[in-house]
Amino acid sequence: MAPPNQLGKRVKLTQVRRPFIIGSTAVPFSDANPKPPGVAENHTHSWKVFVKGVEDTDITYWLRRVQFKLHESVPNHVRMVDGEPGKPFLVTDTGWGEFDVNVKLYYVNESGEKPQTTYHYLRLHPYGRTEEEKQAMITEHGEVRSWAYEEQLFNEPFDAFYRILTAGAVPKGWKPAGGKGKGKGRAAAQPPPLPDPESGEVWDRTAMIPASNRPGQPFSRETEAAEIKKLKEAQAVAEEWTQKTLAELKAKEEELARLKSENGSATTATGKAAS
Amino acid sequence: MSSNDLRDVLNLPDSSSASGTPGGSHRPSKKQRLSAPRSNLKGLAREVQSLGGDNPIAIVPEVSSFKKRRLANRKPAARWDLAPFRNSARDDPSLMLRHWRRRDGQHGLQQQEQQQHGTNADASAQPTTEQNGAQVKQEGDNEIEDSAFAKFNVRPSIPQYTDEQYKTHLKSDDWSKEETDYLMELVTDFDVRWPLIWDRYEWNPPATNGVADADGDESKAVVPKQEARSMEDLKSRYYEIAAKMMAAQKPIHVMSQAEFELHEMMLHFNAQQEKARKDFALNALKRSREEAREEESLLLEVKRILARSERFNEERRELYNRLDFPQSEQDISSIKTSQGLQNLLQQLMAADKNKKRRSLMGADNAHPANAAAAAAAAQAQAQAQAQAQAQESSRRESTVASTGATSTPTGGKKKGNQQAERPKLTEKEEQVYGVSHHDRLTSGPVFRSEKINKMFTHKSNQQQQRINNVLLELDIPPKLVMPTVATTQQFEQLFAAVNALLDARKVADKLDTELKLEQAKKAEREAKESSNHGEEDPAQDKSNPDMPVTKGDESASKEDNAETGTTSEAQETTEPAADPNGEEPGTQDPVEGEGSKEAAAEESSGGPHKRSASVLSTTSDKSAKRQKK
Repeated sequence: MAPPNQLGKRVKLTQVRRPFIIGSTAVPFSDANPKPPGVAENHTHSWKVFVKGVEDTDITYWLRRVQFKLHESVPNHVRMVDGEPGKPFLVTDTGWGEFDVNVKLYYVNESGEKPQTTYHYLRLHPYGRTEEEKQAMITEHGEVRSWAYEEQLFNEPFDAFYRILTAGAVPKGWKPAGGKGKGKGRAAAQPPPLPDPESGEVWDRTAMIPASNRPGQPFSRETEAAEIKKLKEAQAVAEEWTQKTLAELKAKEEELARLKSENGSATTATGKAAS
Repeated sequence: MSSNDLRDVLNLPDSSSASGTPGGSHRPSKKQRLSAPRSNLKGLAREVQSLGGDNPIAIVPEVSSFKKRRLANRKPAARWDLAPFRNSARDDPSLMLRHWRRRDGQHGLQQQEQQQHGTNADASAQPTTEQNGAQVKQEGDNEIEDSAFAKFNVRPSIPQYTDEQYKTHLKSDDWSKEETDYLMELVTDFDVRWPLIWDRYEWNPPATNGVADADGDESKAVVPKQEARSMEDLKSRYYEIAAKMMAAQKPIHVMSQAEFELHEMMLHFNAQQEKARKDFALNALKRSREEAREEESLLLEVKRILARSERFNEERRELYNRLDFPQSEQDISSIKTSQGLQNLLQQLMAADKNKKRRSLMGADNAHPANAAAAAAAAQAQAQAQAQAQAQESSRRESTVASTGATSTPTGGKKKGNQQAERPKLTEKEEQVYGVSHHDRLTSGPVFRSEKINKMFTHKSNQQQQRINNVLLELDIPPKLVMPTVATTQQFEQLFAAVNALLDARKVADKLDTELKLEQAKKAEREAKESSNHGEEDPAQDKSNPDMPVTKGDESASKEDNAETGTTSEAQETTEPAADPNGEEPGTQDPVEGEGSKEAAAEESSGGPHKRSASVLSTTSDKSAKRQKK
């Protein structure tokens, strides 16, 4: 833990979230994706594993480096990727098998936090319970995508880090110093005012997620809403089942009570008769 | 020198007569001279001047600086030619005017030569061969020789439209085609200078007959009412046309940035706003002196109010800072011991008492009767006061220390200060930056999906399996696609629902087994009863018409039958005569009876008393048989 006097105190009872995407994309070797020279015979796919921001926003202001621990059989299987502003943390390789990638996130020094580990299963072949789900994983180029949305929660961040996380929101690709583009003349030094959180815009250095899906950006409020709907429906079904089971339960209980009393009386009766 | 000094010594007034000699000039002039000429002199002149000491000698240095010679003068005077030129901005290109041009260098020489030849550049039809190249160039030069002011004749591009285009794009209820044409004409004429256009705008709509007549009746009586067009009307119409024609000529998505901006600007011309702006400006200009003054004073007032509120805020903040409890470190160490605590308590008590005393003092003075008490009180009070004073001083010390403590961090390390100054985020900012507040948090970074994982891992393996099965039934993957706040919450609810369902099912299962047991018991009892007095009471089975016929019951009875069958079989060896249900095992399938025997045995092992007794009897029978062997 870094010396607290540098980072200030922890901001109590406060949580800051940052969405990001962790995923893999695999492409089988084919004419369109020829096997580069020097690749082992039995390798069937080229793939990449990455950690990146939603809508490809910059996340290097809170994530310093990522360690991808691949399967031991892969040469040089622990890959360290240092962040370059505006670029995803990316590892590319070729292979023939699927495995769990151990992903360790190192946060920026200002955060004073220890690295955290998560997993990502590298998929080379479409996977799903139904054919639809399988098809959904394949894009038009035969890529197999296994992407997962994740939210990094910083609970009670240090003061210095909190300041980093809660300031400096700018539209994507916005540069503070000059540059070309439209409307630069009046707002060269001052960043534009914050957008409406509901607007569905995605800015750099914020926790915003887009309002609707676009090709290559499957995670949005739309997806979230769809998922909530699905969960709600499932919940309704489960509750219905519970109700049904409870109703049956009641009937059974009555039955049991009746049987018990019957049996009980019969035993006493036979007991009496026996005596 | 001497006279001056003498005068000084004698304190004589300056006489004007004495100023006749240059040496004895009066003082002010002397002072002037002291400062003025000396600075200018150099070298020998200065030496000479200084000979005179304070009273300079009357050699007036000759100032010999005349006007500087002009260097350019050495050249011969410049020659000027009367050169013809043309103004391309004019409509009449044939007009040739002349102006004086300074001749310079080669160009001038050539022209001179040309003039000597007596040929005008335009008229030189037969240039000599050696001059040919130069002549051509000259000609070109002359051709280009254009008025320097021609470039200021900028012609704006006025949108053009055909009848067809007018019909498709530009039709307007308010504007006839004729009037639009007229407007465009004016705009072209005056190069989009709106004040001019507006000034000259005099549209007389052609008189038309009330009845639309093809052959144009001469008796055109109906003259449409002439509308006064404001400048904004004209502008908005023109911009509308320009924007539409622009879009018609070039689709919007092909336009360059500048073109698109222009198009947008023209398209969004707001006549109303423009008018309001002008009215406002007009009003502002029309204000009377008093109104202007009032406005000024109001502005001043506003400024003052703002300043005051700012100061007030500042003060309030300062007050808050002061009220903020200062953390003192030294005090704690002294209080840590129980004795220290005791001391503190006493001190506080004393202070408290002191306060009370003071308020009581007035009353005490009013009643001298209990003087003794008062004296005692006074004594106590004095003591308390001393104590309080000490305490007060200490408190003062502590406050000083605390202010010192608060001031040092503000000065030195900014940490404490920063903490106080941490920007308070607005709700919107919190949403944008994803900041939320919770009642309980363990600090450190976590992943959102971990929460759901934890819900699983907190359950036993078996339970996890069951939950997963239910989720599978519900077609919900155990991992969220997008673990956000909302989805996680929703998943928790679903999880709770699934758990409730599982609990219900568990209870139901338990009940089922119990039920089965009871039914088996009942069947057993009935069987026994019927075995006990089968012949006597054969209708015993039918005597329970209200007995529910459930599946479990049936199977149970079947098992029972089978069981009884086997028992009876076993019994047959020993007591072949005593077979009350002789006809039942006959109908029973023997194989099923064998198979269900085990199940029945199992059930009976869990089952209580009577059944086990019968089983016991059979086994005892068997063992008896073995013994016999």
